[in-house]
Parts: sequence; structure tokens; C-alpha cells
Amino acid sequence: MHLSIALIMSNQRSMPVLPVEAYTSQEWFDKEQKIIFGNSWQFAGLAEDIQDPGDYIAVQCGHQNIVIVKGRDQRLRAFHNLCRHRGTQLLRAVGKKQKALTCPYHDWTYDLNGQLVSVPEKDKEFPDLELDKICLHKASVDIWRGMLWVHPNPEADPITKWFDGVWEHLGPHNVNRLIEYPDSILEKIINANWKIVAENFMDVYHLAHLHSNTLNMYDHAKAEFGFIGDHYVFWEPHAKDYGENLDKLMPFKRIAEMTDEYLGAFVPWLFPNFGLSETESSWSTFHAIPLAPDKTKVIIRSKLEPMTDWEFTKQQWKSGMSWHGIMGGETKYGKKPDYDSEDPMDWNDFMEEDVYVCEQQQKSLQNPLFGVTATAKHGESTVRNFQKIIQRWMAS
Amino acid sequence: MPNQFHKLKVLAIDNPIKEATTITFDVSPNLYESFNYFPGQHLIIKFFINGEEVRRSYSLNSCPFKEEPLQVTVKRVNNGLVSNYVGDHLKAGDELEVMVPQGRFYADVQEEAYKTYFLFAAGSGITPIISILKSVLIASPNSAVNLFYGNANQDTIIFKSELEDLQQQYPQRLHIVHTLSEPKVWSTWEQWKGRKGRIDAEAVEWFITNHPPIAQSTEYYICGPGAMNISIRKTLQGLQVPKELIHIEQFGGNVEELNTNIEAVDNAQLTAILNGQTHQFKVPKGKTILQVLKAANVNPPYSCESGVCATCVAKVTKGKAEMKVCMALEDKEIAKGMVLTCQALPVTAELEVKIS
Repeated sequence: MHLSIALIMSNQRSMPVLPVEAYTSQEWFDKEQKIIFGNSWQFAGLAEDIQDPGDYIAVQCGHQNIVIVKGRDQRLRAFHNLCRHRGTQLLRAVGKKQKALTCPYHDWTYDLNGQLVSVPEKDKEFPDLELDKICLHKASVDIWRGMLWVHPNPEADPITKWFDGVWEHLGPHNVNRLIEYPDSILEKIINANWKIVAENFMDVYHLAHLHSNTLNMYDHAKAEFGFIGDHYVFWEPHAKDYGENLDKLMPFKRIAEMTDEYLGAFVPWLFPNFGLSETESSWSTFHAIPLAPDKTKVIIRSKLEPMTDWEFTKQQWKSGMSWHGIMGGETKYGKKPDYDSEDPMDWNDFMEEDVYVCEQQQKSLQNPLFGVTATAKHGESTVRNFQKIIQRWMAS
Repeated sequence: MPNQFHKLKVLAIDNPIKEATTITFDVSPNLYESFNYFPGQHLIIKFFINGEEVRRSYSLNSCPFKEEPLQVTVKRVNNGLVSNYVGDHLKAGDELEVMVPQGRFYADVQEEAYKTYFLFAAGSGITPIISILKSVLIASPNSAVNLFYGNANQDTIIFKSELEDLQQQYPQRLHIVHTLSEPKVWSTWEQWKGRKGRIDAEAVEWFITNHPPIAQSTEYYICGPGAMNISIRKTLQGLQVPKELIHIEQFGGNVEELNTNIEAVDNAQLTAILNGQTHQFKVPKGKTILQVLKAANVNPPYSCESGVCATCVAKVTKGKAEMKVCMALEDKEIAKGMVLTCQALPVTAELEVKIS
């Protein structure tokens, strides 16, 4: 009796910095959307998603939907996706070669600078309306590291200031040169709060344990990591066996800029909800979009060194044939991978392992006995730091 | 006293190309602060040639973010009084009277900015443009520059080798396209393989389309003859570049926007408040405000006398004046009552202007 009370007492219902409600309550979720997602630069896609003048995409930034459109001067503009007439959403997700932006409701039409240019039946219905005084609400957009970024505030600080000092800790990859292969976009709904997904991404302690047989290409003991402002940066070198057999084992053609001195993986988490995985043969974005307190959509996109289909097939085949002999092919529990199993831990896929633990942790938050006894001094300092950053934003 | 002339010694005379002369000035330490400048600004220099005083404004081609002396570069004009004097007679050690740097055509280069600069220059129009170009590369480390530079032929490209060096030094951040209107088929060293033709509407559209900006915050600086400036501005506006991002400096003549319909009042009563003193004059029909002030020897500020440099700007506080040519003020400023005195004729019987 005494023992169990003592356990509950030391068993704090915190994560450990943020309260459990930060991961479960709708109220907290809405506040986060407003304070954090409404005031930060958000990933909006790859630069090549908007090719030609008149092409546009629409992205969600917290409670606000924002349209990015390319003008004839090749410059991107961003507007809040909201007709000035009665607030209807102007445009749907993506579009090509628009000459103007027209609201579906009453056909109010804006030019690519967001200026209102026509209103049906104007003389009769709006005789006093001065079109040239009405413009869509502006937002900020920029390109950084080959990616599109938006900010709901038109006067936002430059993106380079937001990421000040981060670039130097990223890989040497020339992102513009790399190619996204068709149908390679991965989308997955994870039944966990977006911060659990983020914390899992930054948890250095779990790498050697949960992923003992799936991320064994890296020497986790030699990982270098830390925070630059609110952004987390991480690099770790290859494990000896992997590094020595790189040509045989790497899944794709080596990326030209990844010369020997860089070999390993750069895996930063850019505040608030965006990760990168930059390796010797691939470059991937990991966008965690909060849908509900216990639901997050993750979109993963990958770019590779340009190569022919034959080069691609050859390298995949070589890597597949060599892997088992050098790296081993069993799961964490010493089983042969079983892709038909109902247990994701049998699939020997590090991503599925992560999804599994994130969802399990979210479920446990409902348990009255849930608590965090202690967190690792080094390997989980990143989790505590991330929570402190969230705490600071929410207090602002 | 911003309109005061200072004696500066010529430190060196160089010829970047045969037909152009670069003057390097020695500024004494007590004048450093006064001679601070923004890239794109110009100096007004007083010359005494054949016993007469003449003034010219020349853009600084030096970079204020480098520890380098002030420099202007003067290209010879056929029968040009000053440009040939500079080319033939000026030498190191000479003294010239120089007004502190000024002009509204400049770039406010910020270290933290993330911008793409589109620069357009023709001939000696490169002088303020190269100052902006160097300043962005040095002082705004995240920003990039795209330069479109037009010349007659291989031998008239001012700063060719300096631009090549910069290109090597900043391969990721600087993109230069040269275009020649009359390339020499065989120059002494190689055949011209670059772009041909002038910087016309089609060329501007090609340049913009082929140099999409990385940083999405953009600025456009144009310096060349009037016709080119107007054509570039119109093309950019046709591509929906917002007007406030386009900056123009006029070099040379051929102004297209001459207002010939001014109904000037004869013998208008002019009150001019200049350097805190109030003066009263009658303005004969057809005379500009500046002509009257100059005749009265009250030392008004002025330089180009062609509606370009804005040195002579004044604010109308009573009555109304109209300008023959105005290449230097924006519509907003004109609406607020700003005028260039060198172009302004009174159109009301009474006129009061304040010159600061």
C-alpha cells in the first residue's frame, strides 16, 4: 500500500516538462495552432511544386489556409485563401496556369498580385465599391534549401533569420539538383499527438534499442546533436561494417556532394514540425501535420541523385543481395521479418517501429497510472529541450 | 551644410577601358562621416573649364562596405565638355570641389535581408549598379544578384575584369549576362559567343524568365539611357512586378515624358525659404524656379538641371507649380507637393516653396 502510493507520487503526470494535457486536450491543441503554427515559418513543399507562372498550391498554417502562386515575373506570392467578399476559400489544393484567382461563390476575381480586378454586376450591386482598394490578405513565402516555406504574417522576419545558424549543420546536398521519383510520396496517419512524433524523431536514446536491427547502419554512440535556437540538429557517422561496404550496401546511387568527410546521416528537426533525413544516397523531408490532439499526418518525400532506371535497379539489387550477410536481417526479437504479420515489430522497418511506439505512448496517456519516472541525461535531453521550447512559445 | 562643396584631392586616375576615366578621391579623416554613402548615390563635382564653372553628377562605382576610397568613372561623350576635360587633363594630385554623396537611387543593403536583386545597366550606367552589386555581395550574405549588362562591343565593357573576378568569388550568388548591340566579329582575343542585341522588352522578359529568384523578396535597379529605362520599367510592370520595387536612374538624354502643356503664369510672386532665410522674387513667364534663384545668387542646391538627380527638390507650401520633366520623384511625392525646382514653373500667381 505504502509502496504503491510512493510510486504514484514520484510518478509525475508530465512528459516530463509539459503536462499530459498538452498531448490530449483540444483546448491546448487549438492554442498551439494559433500561437505556434500561426506564427512560424511552415514547410509548404518542394520548390519545383510550383513550376510556371499561374501555378499555385494551397497549404494549411495553423487555422489559416494560404495560397502560394507564381507570378509572370517568376516571383512567388502568398495570400490568405479567403475571398474578401464573404470569406469563402478561394482556391482548392493545387492548380496550373491560372491567369487570375476567382472565388467559386460569386466569381469575384483577383489578379496574381492579389488585387481585386472584377466583381460581377458591379454597377448595379456595388456602385460605390473601389476595386483598386481591395486586395487579398498577404502572407510571406520564400524558398530555402530547395523548399517552399510560408508564414501567415506578411511582415515576417526573413526565413534566413528564422533558420539562422542551422544551414551550417546540415548536409552538403544540393537539393535543387536531386530528383524526386514519381509516386515516391509516403503518407501515413499516426494516432498520436504531433509532439510525440517530434520527440520520437529527436530521441537519441531509443536509436540503439528500438531500432537495434533496423538503423544499425549508424554508430549511434558517436552521434553529435544539439539545438540552434529552436531547431534541433543531428549527425551520426556510419557504423564500421556499413561504412566499409558502402558501395555494396547503400540503397541508391551516392549523392555527389556527400564526399567521404560528410559520410553519415544529417537528421535535423526544424521547429515546429518538420524533419529532414539527409544521407549518402537519399534526401527526405518528414512533415508532421497535426490533425487532432491524438492524430498526426506524416508526409515523407524523397529525392535522389539523378540516375537511370538501370542504375536504380542495379543498386537496389546489389544492396538487397549484400545486406543480409553483412548487416544481418533479423528483427529486434531475433525473428525473420514477416511482412504479413499483424505485429508491426515483425516488419523490420524502422518507421513502423516508430509509429508503433508513438501510438502506444499516446494510448497510455489515458491510463491513470501513466507517468514519466526519469528521462535519460543525454539521449533524451533533446526531448526535454523541445518541450521547454514549446512551453516558452505557449507562454508568449 | 549638405549642399556645401569640399575640396578633395585626386588620388589616382585610371582607365578601365580606353574611353573611360576612373577618378579616385582622397577624403581626409575629418570628412569621412560626411562622405558616407549608400550604394547607387552620386557625387556632384564642380569643374572650372575655360574660366567657367560647370557641374556634373557622377555615380560612385566604389563600394561603401569595403574599405576603399571613393571612385567615380566618367565615360567620354562626343564633344562633351567635362568628360573630355577629365579624360585629357585631370591628373593625380589635382583638387576638385565635390558635394557630399546624394541621390535617391540607392539600395539600402541590410545584413539580415534575404533578397534577390535584379540589376540592369547599359554602358556607363554600370557605375551605380556595380556599387550596389558589390555591396549586396559583401554586406548581405544571404542575398543574390542577377546582372543584365548591355554594351556596344567587347571593348566598351567597363569593369569587365572586376566583374569576372566577382563572378569567380561568388559563383552561387552572382549571375551576369552580357549583351552586345554591335559585337566585333573578331576582337583581339576571341569571338563573342555571348548574347547579342540591346536590353529591349524581349530581352528583359527572357532574362527574368531564365533567372527565377531564389530569395522571393526582390528589388529591380535600372540605370541607362532614358528610352531603355522606360522600356525595362514597362516590361517589368507588364510582368506584374510591383511598381515600388523598381528603381531607376537616368543617364544621358532622350527623355520621353516631357510635359509641354504647362500654362505658366507671368510674373508670379515667388517666396522661397532657403536655408532658413526667406527671399521674394518675381518669376518671368517660362523661367524655372531654379533659374530665378541662380540669377539672384542665393546659392540654391542643384546639379543635373534636367529633372533627374533631385538635388534641387523643394516642397510647395502655397500655390502650385508644374514640372516639364520629372524622372526623380514618385507620384506619391508629387501629390505631397514635392517639385524639382530646375523643372518647375509657377501656375498660380503666388507660389511659396521650402528648400531644405
